[in-house]
Amino acid sequence: MDATTPATPAAPPADEPVHHPSYIGVWFGLAFLTAIELGVAFLPWAKITIILILVGLAVWKALLVALYYMHLRYEPTRLRVLAMAPLPLALILVVAVIMEYR
Amino acid sequence: MARSAVMRPPVLAEPGAGVYNEKLGIWVFLGSEVMFFTALIGAYIILRTAHPGAWQEPGEMLNVPITAFNTFLLICSSVTMVKAFAAIQEGRQKHLTLWLLATVLIGASFVGVQAYEYAELIHKGFVPSEGLYGSTFYTMTGFHGFHVSVGVLCLIFVTFRAWRGGYTAEDHRGVEVIGLYWHFVDLVWIILFTIVYLI
Amino acid sequence: MTTPRAGTAAPHVGDLHPHDAVHDHEPSFLRKYIFATDHKIIGIQFLIMSLAFLLVGGALAMMIRWQLGYPGQAMPGGTVLPETMAPGGVIAPEFYNSLVTMHGTFMVFFAIMPLLVGVFGNYLIPLKIGAPDMAFPRLNMASFWIAVPAGIIMIFGFFAEGGHAGAGWTAYAPLSASPEHSGVSLGQQLWCVSLIVLGLSSILGATNYITTIINMRAPGMTWFRLPLSIWALFVTAVLVLLAIPILSGAVIMLLFDQTIGTHFFLRAGEPLLWQHLFWYFGHPEVYILILPAFGMVSDIIANGSRKPIFGYNSMVFAILAIAFLGWIVWGHHMFQSGMNPTLGTSFMISTMLIAVPSAIKVFNWLGTLWQGNIRFTVPMLHACAFVSMFVIGGLSGVFMASTPVDIFIHDTYFIVAHLHYVLFGGSLFAIFAGITYWYPKMFGRMMSRRWGLIHFWLTFVAYNLVFFPMHNLGLGGHMRRIYDPNQYEFLQPLQGLNEMISISAFVLFTAQLIFAANFILSWFKGEKAPMNPWEDNSLEWTVPSPPPHGNFAATPVVYRGPYEYSSPEVEQDFLPQTLRLPTDRPPAAASAGD
Repeated sequence: MDATTPATPAAPPADEPVHHPSYIGVWFGLAFLTAIELGVAFLPWAKITIILILVGLAVWKALLVALYYMHLRYEPTRLRVLAMAPLPLALILVVAVIMEYR
Repeated sequence: MARSAVMRPPVLAEPGAGVYNEKLGIWVFLGSEVMFFTALIGAYIILRTAHPGAWQEPGEMLNVPITAFNTFLLICSSVTMVKAFAAIQEGRQKHLTLWLLATVLIGASFVGVQAYEYAELIHKGFVPSEGLYGSTFYTMTGFHGFHVSVGVLCLIFVTFRAWRGGYTAEDHRGVEVIGLYWHFVDLVWIILFTIVYLI
Repeated sequence: MTTPRAGTAAPHVGDLHPHDAVHDHEPSFLRKYIFATDHKIIGIQFLIMSLAFLLVGGALAMMIRWQLGYPGQAMPGGTVLPETMAPGGVIAPEFYNSLVTMHGTFMVFFAIMPLLVGVFGNYLIPLKIGAPDMAFPRLNMASFWIAVPAGIIMIFGFFAEGGHAGAGWTAYAPLSASPEHSGVSLGQQLWCVSLIVLGLSSILGATNYITTIINMRAPGMTWFRLPLSIWALFVTAVLVLLAIPILSGAVIMLLFDQTIGTHFFLRAGEPLLWQHLFWYFGHPEVYILILPAFGMVSDIIANGSRKPIFGYNSMVFAILAIAFLGWIVWGHHMFQSGMNPTLGTSFMISTMLIAVPSAIKVFNWLGTLWQGNIRFTVPMLHACAFVSMFVIGGLSGVFMASTPVDIFIHDTYFIVAHLHYVLFGGSLFAIFAGITYWYPKMFGRMMSRRWGLIHFWLTFVAYNLVFFPMHNLGLGGHMRRIYDPNQYEFLQPLQGLNEMISISAFVLFTAQLIFAANFILSWFKGEKAPMNPWEDNSLEWTVPSPPPHGNFAATPVVYRGPYEYSSPEVEQDFLPQTLRLPTDRPPAAASAGD
């Protein structure tokens, strides 16, 4: 995912560097991925394949926003762990209950 | 330009999360929002797995082109938001205000387009009581839209404060906090657009 | 008066007016006591609100017990109730359904949860970690003032046409989603709205607690020097943060099914989806209702034994293990639902597993008491009662964890016995212990020891007479939430037991009036409390009773954990966390401040 996001840290001021990537670069990445999604959604492939690809693309976009716009890439590890903490719970609920209906 | 003590972790305290209180607070709160959307989106995934026939193919009922444009709009508003933040990090108050204003306008447009979309769908007879499809569609997108609207209101408040010079390079916590909320709302939409409109 | 310190430095973004480091103006009565931002006042506000709802919940229980003890007979004073509820003073079946529903709802959401989390969380967290207040004092105020309308809405439900919600506190669909089954419409909707509002209050509170504990611990107050009450409250706050939104989502979907005709749990939808969503929230919820109790009891038992808590580290890991495992056991509330049997088996295994950390805690409490120099104070008695009653409740839980057994005892009085042993015998005794223990700090007065003892013994005896026989009722086939058990021949022999339980329940309720009187009268006439009446090591006992706004004159520095009782390093049998001995070095954070 870093192919579209060259990190360009600003020149560090007096006390500490202010990290940020190219926000416009990330924007292009998001637009590009959205365009791919639109293409894939209407291809005549197996539904399950399309779902996997689309979900994967959506997750990629979400990560771009989280890591670069929300600056998680540059935050202390503790904060990153905290931010990711609810995700396994979300997964457990959906996976477990889907088992009811398969 | 140096950030003041308020934008660094608390001084006379044991090492905590490594960030100032308000930033930690908003991340913690966003954790609860993840779980809230998990309930709604999870219900959708579960119901759709159980009754796949209740849904239509992408684009049949829902307007994908308009919504794709709306998605693009929301992504743009995330860019304007982060540009606003970058501006105040360097103390450029005028730019902060302008970028924030842009975010407000784009955000409000998103809600407007969604309202238009709802009106069209209702006109076609696609309402919340229209089976599982309608129930899940309106609940997920509706609550997302509600969150966007609340975000826009908060952004208006922050923009006004910025215009009055309330934020500086030393202290722009409010900008960062609303920024994180706003990006989160964008992030949820990225997921929603894919699984509601394209699958 | 207060010097700027962590989290309270000069202008806050979002402040409508700058916060001065030195208060040279006294806030008005309204800002100080009504729209208070001081965590101590907010804690007391929650205390008053929750005790009022505890009384309401208890009164509802008395009506339930009347009907079960004397089925079909006119209740004394019953004629004051409207004809729709109790024609001729006899409780109507539909009203009975609301009674059991609202007893559960008020007790869980408006009494126990706010007592444990709202009261003790608010009051103790900043004090025990050495902070001047919560991270977000105004958000804290919002938390309380959002909870109040939620309570009012829930009360209004009683006046709704069609009666109040009557689908149980678990509100299973389709009964809860469609008035055609229950006859209840507006009442159930108000139930939903109230919980959505209350959910917001809880989530904001949890955000505050988590941020405060992570970021505002005083220098030297490392994670493994935190009192167990704070560990428990921290983990509980995380559970609240992540579980309550699930309930909010589920209840919103239920409300939509009731009002705008959606199909989540009705019509084309899936009733089982409600059960999964509700219990995915509901199981972490029950740990929310017990973990703070675990924490407070640990503090009180260590103090009352004059010994360090046995196995502090394992106590912490047990709390964490319970919180983690608590997310994967929810199906044990649904063994009879017809869910996927493989799923059921995995829930049985995880549920059996979760008994282990709880058992570790019990053994550690016993280990703390063992050969301790025990002081039989009123809080200590309640705390010891907690341990034994919780063991009973936990043991019945092991029976229920086994799916084949649960198929028979699910939705019987065996379950009612279990839940009351953990919630009353557990949580409520811990609450009594906690109120008595921290009352001196909150109000500057001691509660009466004599009346505390009378209340304790009456409660302990009556409580066991009420709830222990329910195990027998349940095994005898007595089902839950039933209006008239005598309609079944096989239950008629159990009527005598029901009557005995009811009489004991009336005694139990009356005994609580002693506690209420003690609580109120001690505020006026109680013996003035010293700074540290229990000779406790934790930080709140180093400041006056009650503590001033801002809590500490200077940021405290912590040198050790909170359980150094009977330490060889000092003559007295307690060694406060902030007492610096010649051998102590200051912690790194104390001189921090680049």
